[in-house]
Amino acid sequence: MVVAEHLHKSFGPVHAVRGVSFELAPGQVAALLGPNGAGKTTTIRMIVGFTMPDRGRVTIQGADTATSPAAARRQIGYLPESTPLYPEMRVREYLLYRARLYGLQRSDRGHALSRVLERCWLKEVANRRIGHLSKGYKQRVGLAGAMLHNPPVLVLDEPTNGLDPTQIRETRQLVRELAADRTMLVSSHILPEVAVLCDRVIVISGGVVRADSPTERLGRAPGDMNSYVLQARVQRAADEERFVKSMGNLPFVQEITRDGTRRQEGEWIEWRILAKAGSPDLREAIATAASQGGFLLRELRGESPSLEQAFLRLIEPGSDGGTS
Amino acid sequence: MRGAWPIALRELSAYFRQPAGWIILALYLFLSGLVFATGILMPGKAASLRDFFALSGWLLLPVAPAITMRLVAEELRAGTIENLFTAPLSSAAIVLGKYFGACLFLLAMLAPTLVYPVVLRSFSSPQPDVGPMIAGYLCLLLLGGLYLALGTFASTLTANGTLAFLISLFSILALMFAGSAPPTTPASIRAVLDSVWITARVLDFSRGIIDTSHVVFFVTASAWFVFLSIVSLEVRRWR
Repeated sequence: MVVAEHLHKSFGPVHAVRGVSFELAPGQVAALLGPNGAGKTTTIRMIVGFTMPDRGRVTIQGADTATSPAAARRQIGYLPESTPLYPEMRVREYLLYRARLYGLQRSDRGHALSRVLERCWLKEVANRRIGHLSKGYKQRVGLAGAMLHNPPVLVLDEPTNGLDPTQIRETRQLVRELAADRTMLVSSHILPEVAVLCDRVIVISGGVVRADSPTERLGRAPGDMNSYVLQARVQRAADEERFVKSMGNLPFVQEITRDGTRRQEGEWIEWRILAKAGSPDLREAIATAASQGGFLLRELRGESPSLEQAFLRLIEPGSDGGTS
Repeated sequence: MRGAWPIALRELSAYFRQPAGWIILALYLFLSGLVFATGILMPGKAASLRDFFALSGWLLLPVAPAITMRLVAEELRAGTIENLFTAPLSSAAIVLGKYFGACLFLLAMLAPTLVYPVVLRSFSSPQPDVGPMIAGYLCLLLLGGLYLALGTFASTLTANGTLAFLISLFSILALMFAGSAPPTTPASIRAVLDSVWITARVLDFSRGIIDTSHVVFFVTASAWFVFLSIVSLEVRRWR
């Protein structure tokens, strides 16, 4: 259980985090999503106790990071953004060093070490120097270090940053495995990653929480559709123009485009109608307008905004944000 | 203070895994060997390491800042400080671990010089006095401890190792020349400068005098700089 309450942090004149609050239930995997400079890393650093908030407080499994810092930090495994490690140390040595820092008993160290070497697929490089490893392996060493003391909460700051596609896939798979029995907070600016890894998204922009919702419902109200795809039969070129006009006259319609990506099948043409924000369900109106104009429809469906569209809508300046 | 010991051991091993550690070691042994071979091990000279100990302030001057320059600065530069700050460790444990690591390296660096008294005993007649040698080595340890504490503090101030080196080098120089203030200096300031002047204290030790006030001075001053380092790290957490 992680609770962040009204966190504020300024660096000189820059008010980087302005009243961020959220709660992570045990076992929840949440993403902290936002553009670069949104305040993700600062928020994460306050949660893991690297830096102290100017105002507000953080508790990890009930331990306050300001009043009982050691107890709070023992509950957390943390992978910083750039995965800082000591290049001159060997993987096994580094992990044993971390185990000592976290106060693991001598008898438990060996077991903890073999557990993380196994889980993070590091067995074959255990005796290699960290400085000689690829970035993907270094990332795994960082993850293994974060998991050594078997913390109930894992916090990962941009875990796939700077990795190649294969390494990204492997790291995501590993993170997914680790998430199975832990509370996890992952920061990212990569949408597909969030969609794959997390069941909850907290969108941060300008140091403020813009949205906090289950991933599949991000930025969308139930039944919220902002575009419609339809196939209509148009027999003559002149009819095409008439069709566009009749659809364009409907209230709330912002734009109508012919789908250039689909090949035209006979006289059936696919169109996409984009509705203005906050519009009601337009399917009935579209069907009525089509039949009044004498156009036959064979498909009409509404589409919810994609995660990306929802995200962009949330972070754009002037967005009122809120939760959904 | 749990966690200080693993940090100290890691620091010690880091010196021996990097060329810098070996170069520092070689530099010190070369300088001290030079003093021993050309200034002490000469026919007709008294069998004493007095000159070696008297010069110890200078011999350690380029070496101690090199030992401490990367202690904390490198962690700040590489970002590994994030791992330390988020582990269940106090700032005091981190600083003490770093400082003790540097002290252990200093011991490893001074250990080979124990060959000088052995050589002196086997070559000279009459035999050299043991007392002044014990006082001399106590001086080396106390002086080294102070230099390292000052260097540790300098290293917490910046992520730039070179800058940390220069800060500690010039601070040590200031302590060495504190007693050389011009006669026009007001008496009150002169008194303060004289009290922090390390050169006179080192000369006393090299003559074989173990003055408790000198011992207290070195221990207190070292503890003061270790304390300042802890404060400096703690300030970083809250900044």
